[in-house]
Amino acid sequence: MKWMTFGPEIYTLLAALWFLLLSLGARPDAKREHLTSLLLAAVGVMVSVAAIKAEGHLFVNAYRVDFFSQVFKVMLSLGLFLIVCICGNLTDIRERNRHDFYILLFVCTLAMMLLVSGNHLLTIYVSLELSSYSLYVLVALRRDQNFGLEAGIKYFLVGIFASGVMIFGLALLYATTGATTLDDLVKVLPPIINQPAVIIGLLFTVSGFFFKLAVFPFHIWAPDIYQGSMNQVAAYIATASKVAAIAVLARVIASAGEGSTYLVHVLGVLSIISMTVGNLAAIAQQDLKRLLAYSTIAHAGYVLIGILSLNAAGYAGAVYYAMAVLVMKFTVFLVIVEVADDGRNVQIEQLAGLHRRSPILALALMVSLFSLAGIPPTMGFTGKFLLFVAAMGRGYFTLVLIAMINVVVSLYYYLLVIKAAYLLEPKEALPPLNVSPFIKLLSGVLAAVMIAAGLFPYYLIELADAAAKALM
Amino acid sequence: MHITYASFPYLSAILLSCVVGLLAIMLIPEERKALIRWVSAIFSGITLVLSACLFLAYDKSLGGLQFAEKASWVPSLGISYFNAADGFNLPLLLLTGIVFFTGVLTMWELEMRVKEFFAHYFLLVTAVFGLFMSMDLFFIFVWYDVSLFPMYLLIAVWGHTRKEYGAMKLTLYLLSGSALILPAIIYLFAKSGLHTFDILSLMQPGIFTAEQQKFAFLLLYLGFGILAGVWPFHTWSPVGHVAAPTGVSMVHAGVLMKVGAFGILRVAIFLCPEGWQYYAQLMALLAAIGIIYGALVGLRQTDLKYVIGYSSVSHMGVVGLGLATVTAQGLNGAVFQMFTHGVMTALLFSSVGYIYDRTHTKMIPELGGLSRIMPVASTYFIVAALAGMGVPGLANFWGELMVFIAAFKVYPVRGIVAVLALLVTALFMLRVVQRAFYGPGNERYAQLPDVTFCEGIPRMILVAVLVLFGLYPSLLLDVIQSASIPFMNGLPR
Repeated sequence: MKWMTFGPEIYTLLAALWFLLLSLGARPDAKREHLTSLLLAAVGVMVSVAAIKAEGHLFVNAYRVDFFSQVFKVMLSLGLFLIVCICGNLTDIRERNRHDFYILLFVCTLAMMLLVSGNHLLTIYVSLELSSYSLYVLVALRRDQNFGLEAGIKYFLVGIFASGVMIFGLALLYATTGATTLDDLVKVLPPIINQPAVIIGLLFTVSGFFFKLAVFPFHIWAPDIYQGSMNQVAAYIATASKVAAIAVLARVIASAGEGSTYLVHVLGVLSIISMTVGNLAAIAQQDLKRLLAYSTIAHAGYVLIGILSLNAAGYAGAVYYAMAVLVMKFTVFLVIVEVADDGRNVQIEQLAGLHRRSPILALALMVSLFSLAGIPPTMGFTGKFLLFVAAMGRGYFTLVLIAMINVVVSLYYYLLVIKAAYLLEPKEALPPLNVSPFIKLLSGVLAAVMIAAGLFPYYLIELADAAAKALM
Repeated sequence: MHITYASFPYLSAILLSCVVGLLAIMLIPEERKALIRWVSAIFSGITLVLSACLFLAYDKSLGGLQFAEKASWVPSLGISYFNAADGFNLPLLLLTGIVFFTGVLTMWELEMRVKEFFAHYFLLVTAVFGLFMSMDLFFIFVWYDVSLFPMYLLIAVWGHTRKEYGAMKLTLYLLSGSALILPAIIYLFAKSGLHTFDILSLMQPGIFTAEQQKFAFLLLYLGFGILAGVWPFHTWSPVGHVAAPTGVSMVHAGVLMKVGAFGILRVAIFLCPEGWQYYAQLMALLAAIGIIYGALVGLRQTDLKYVIGYSSVSHMGVVGLGLATVTAQGLNGAVFQMFTHGVMTALLFSSVGYIYDRTHTKMIPELGGLSRIMPVASTYFIVAALAGMGVPGLANFWGELMVFIAAFKVYPVRGIVAVLALLVTALFMLRVVQRAFYGPGNERYAQLPDVTFCEGIPRMILVAVLVLFGLYPSLLLDVIQSASIPFMNGLPR
C-alpha cells in the first residue's frame, strides 16, 4: 500500500492527536492554539492537494480512493482551514474546552474524509457515525448551557433515529443483494433496482445522508441546531458537513445505475418539498442562522435535482454545487462571526449599518447572498445552471421550473438581509467593526472567488466533470 | 446569415470601458466625490463615443452580423462568448450609450453615497450593453440577471416614494421573468441536440418542431414580456420608475424595458418563428390592451413620474404591436420605437428629476406656472412630451407611424383602437403640460433657479437626438432594415 494514497487521512489524524497531546500538558493559550491549528489546517490542504491524483483500493476493498473522493478531500480540508480561520476569537466556549474543540474539529474532518472514500457499507456507516458524534459534542460545547445542550440533545436524538433507519436499510440491501461493498452493488443493483425491497433498502440507506444534508423529512433538526450551536460550529455544519453528505449521497445513488424510475420519483418529490419548505419557512425568520438553516434545506433540494438525474452530468453538477455551497455559506458565516464578536446569535436587523461599519464585509455578504440565490455572475448560479441542464437533459422540465420559482422566493429573503446591511441604520450609532486585516483579505478573496468562478467556470466544471466520471 | 469578424473589437471595447470605469470608481476613496463624477463621466463618454462609432461604421449595404467576436467559453457545454452587431441591436447599443452618458450627467448633483451609486450604475449598464450585443443564449441570460444585481439597492437606497416596496416589487417581478426564461433556454438547448447555446446555430430552420417552438415561445414571451412591461405584467414598472432616482429611472424606462422587447425579438422570435406566428394574435391583443390601459390609467395620475410611467406602458405596447404584426415593416417600427421611446423617456425623467430636486414635489396640482419660473427646464419637458404625443418632426412620430401602418393591414380593429388610445396619451400629456407649466404659478417656487448651461447638457443631447432622427429617420431606418428584411425573407412560410 502506498502511504500517499492514505495521506490526507493520516495527516488529519496526526493533527487531531497533536491537540490531544496539547490538552494533556500545555497551558491554554488561545493565540498559540489558533495559530497552531491554522498552520496544521493549511498544511492539511496542501497534503490533500498533493494526494489528488491518488488512486487505489485499501483495506481489503473496504476503502476506495479515486479522483472523486480526492476532490472532496481537498474540499473538506479547505473547509476545515476556512473554519479555523474564523476561530480566532472563541469566546463562546470555556477555556478548558478549547483543546477539545480543535480535537473534535479535526476528528470530524477525518471522519468525513473516510466517509467520502468508504466502499464497504460498514465503513460508510462507521465514519458517518464518527462524524456525527463529533458534531453532537461540538454543538453541546457552547458556553450557554441551556442553548447548547438543548441543541446537542435534539441533534443527537434525530441523528440516532436517522442512523437507525439507515442501518435497517443496509440490512435490507444486504438481504436482497448479498453485496456489502459499493463496487459489488454497482454490478448487482441495476438489474433488480425496481424490486420493492431493494428500492426501500436503498432509500432507507440514504436516509442517513438525508439527515446530514437536511433533506425533507430529515430536516427538522437544522434550524434549532444552527441557532443553538456556536457560530463557528454552525458554519462547520453548514459547509464541510454538507459537502461530505453530497459526496456520499452521490456515491451510493450512483451505484443504482441509471434506470430506476421509482428512485427518481421519490428523489424528485423530496427535492421539491425540501426546496419549497426551506424557502417558504426562511421568509419568516428573524435569526440569521435560522434563516441560513432553512436556506440549507432548500439547497439540499437543489442538489437532489442533480443527483436524481442519475448521470455523469448530474453528479458533476452536484460536485460543482458542493464547492459553491462551501464557499458561499462560509462567507455568510464569516460575516456573522465578525459581527457577533461576543459569539451571540445575530438577528437580521442587527446587521444595520454594516455597509459603513465594514464595507468589505458588507460587500462579501452581498455577493454571497446573491450567489446563494443563484444570480449570475456568481458561483451559485453556475452550480444551479449545471444542475438544471442535467435535469433538462433527462426531460424533467417541471422540476426545473419549480426550482426556478423557488429561486425567486429565495431572493426575497436574501434581499431582506441585504437591505438590512445596506439600507437600515442602527438605532444608536455603532462604531466601525474591528476587523483584522487577515479577515478583510479573506472576505475579499472569497467574494472575488465567487465572482471569478461564476465568470470563468471552465476549470471548475472540468474538475467536477472529471470527478463525476471517476464515480461512474 | 452573413458574418464579418471584427478588425477592432468595438463591442468588447464598450464592455471593457464600462468595467474599467467600474473598477476605477471602486478604487477611488469615498470622499473624493468630484473625482468619482469626472471618472464616471469620462468612461461613460468613451462608451458613448464607441457606440456612436459602431453605429456609423456599420456597413448597411452589406448587412448581416458585423463586428463579430467569438471565443469558446465553456466548451463542455457549448457556451461561447459571441458578440456581434446587426440592424436590430445597433440602435439599442447607441441608445444605451446615450442614456448612460446623459444619466451620469443628470446625477451630477448627487451627494449621498456617490461612490456606491456610480459603481452600481456602471454594473447595471455593463449588463445592458452585454445583453444587447450577445449572440449566445447563456450570456444573454447571464446579462439579464446581472442587471438585477444592482437594481434593488439602486432604487432602495437612492430612491424616493415607497422606494423599498418599489425596489422589491421590481426585483421580484424581473426575477420571475428569468424563472421562465432559464427553463425555456435550457429546454431549447436540450431539445436541439446540437450542444450549443449559439443563437446562429440554433436559429437554423428545422431544428425545433412546431410544438417545441410554440411551447418555448410562450415561456420566452412571458419571461421577457415582464421586463418589456407587457400588460398584465406591467405593474412593477410605474411603481419602480417612480421610486427610482432620476438617473436610474432614465436607464430603466429608457433602456431596460427595451431589453425585454429586444429579448422577445432576439431570443423568442429568432429561435421560435413558428411560435411567433402562432401567438401573434395574442401578442397583438395584449399589446393593444397595454396601449389603452396605460393611456387611461395615465389620465388619472397626479404624480408627474406616474404619468411618465404609465405612458411608458402605453408606448411599450406600441413596440409589442409592431412585433406582433409578423412583418418587416412592423419590426422596423418596433425597433425604431424602442430607440425613440428610450430617448424620449430619458428626457422626460431627466427634466422631472431637475424639477423635483428644486421643488421637492412631483405632484401636478402643487406645481403650476413653472414655464415662467424655469422656462428652459420647462422647454425640455415640453419637447419630450410633444415627442411622446408623436408630433411630426420629432423621432417618435416615425416609429409610431410605421407600427400603425403595419398594424392596420394585419389587425385593423386593434390598430384603430390603439391609435385612438394614443390620442388619449396626447390628451393627458397636454393636460400635464398645461397644469404644471402654465396657469397660476406657485409662489413658493418663484425664487428657484433655472437650468444652467452645464446642467442642461444631458438634456440638450437628448433633444438633439430626437430632432436629428425626427428630421432624418432614414439614418436609423436603413440600419434596421438591413436586418429586418433579410430576416423576414428567411422565415419559412
